[in-house]
Amino acid sequence: MSVFILPVLLLVLIVVSVAKRVKVYDCFLGGAKDSLSLVKSVFPYIAAIFVCIQLFRESGAADWLAKVLAKPLSYLGIPAEITQLMMLVPLSGGGAIALLEDIIARYGVDSYIARCAACVSGASETVFYISAVYLSACKAKKLRYAIPVSLFCTLLGTTAACLLCRFM
Amino acid sequence: MNILFTALILISIAVMLAVSPAQVFPTMISGVKSAIELSVKLLAIYAVWLSALKMMQATGLDKKLSKLLRPVIKRLFKGDSDEAYSNISVNLSANMLGMGGVATPAGIKAMSLMQDGSEKITQNMALLIVINATSVQLVPATVIALRATAGSSDAASIFLPTLIATSISTLSGILICKTLSVKNDSPNRKTKTLSHNIGNVKSDFGKYILKMRRGK
Repeated sequence: MSVFILPVLLLVLIVVSVAKRVKVYDCFLGGAKDSLSLVKSVFPYIAAIFVCIQLFRESGAADWLAKVLAKPLSYLGIPAEITQLMMLVPLSGGGAIALLEDIIARYGVDSYIARCAACVSGASETVFYISAVYLSACKAKKLRYAIPVSLFCTLLGTTAACLLCRFM
Repeated sequence: MNILFTALILISIAVMLAVSPAQVFPTMISGVKSAIELSVKLLAIYAVWLSALKMMQATGLDKKLSKLLRPVIKRLFKGDSDEAYSNISVNLSANMLGMGGVATPAGIKAMSLMQDGSEKITQNMALLIVINATSVQLVPATVIALRATAGSSDAASIFLPTLIATSISTLSGILICKTLSVKNDSPNRKTKTLSHNIGNVKSDFGKYILKMRRGK
């Protein structure tokens, strides 16, 4: 079923474009052009986080951290392998994608862990980055409850994702 | 992020000096190597996805979505100007479609339109941050594409669980913000500590769960 979602959406989009006399070819050229500059702006973050991840893992500190957090998280049904991703997601979008790629390579793309990780990174946002950027033009800087509420709800979403991946 | 990055690298290198000093530089370089491999993959993914987004913009689908959202937004963000409403609807609809480039400027504009001149952000501003920070994206295109390039048998199978998970986080975010702002509106309770707020969040969540159970 889900195999059809994206291709069908794309097909509908192209049909609508043709109906509205939008130049499909020009759209593709524009998109490909934008992707270059997008990757250029994301690359430094990905590089930094990959260096960080690999050092952290090679030194054995990652295993230690995962061991410490495994117990409390297991009560929520969140596998310990997701721990690092959970902590990175609110901080860095490029970093989360990098870590997701790493998890996919380690555990296999269709494993429970990798599907879980995909859901977690697809269903969450860079909480700290967003609150900083959105307030960049404002005088008001006191965030009140915005960040704790966002983090708590992200945890809620993560718990739900891990649960849903067990049977979906 | 600066502090975190420095701390992590410092700890890792210190530990590695004790265990395997020869591995420090090769590890770092192989890290960047994986980053380049991922960037090439992302370049391909973005090229396809961004062109689809271009079509959405050209056909005006994004504007249609923001019009659909408008009444809901008016109700959620009561008491702000029409200009703020239209910026919020552009922001949220663009984020739903995964167009961060369009969403962010609109979000920044909306925020500056909603501020009341004080140092604290208003309740509606907090609400907009929470909605955005709990992710409203409908199709996690990058994630699905990454799974597809890794050879998944059904890359889009995460579509539904992701959508449900992100709906849960966003809806509970809205709910908590709304209950908090009702409490904050009552007089004599203007100064609140963080722990107080977290306590409220917890009790609100408990009530919410109870409601859900009763509903079932």
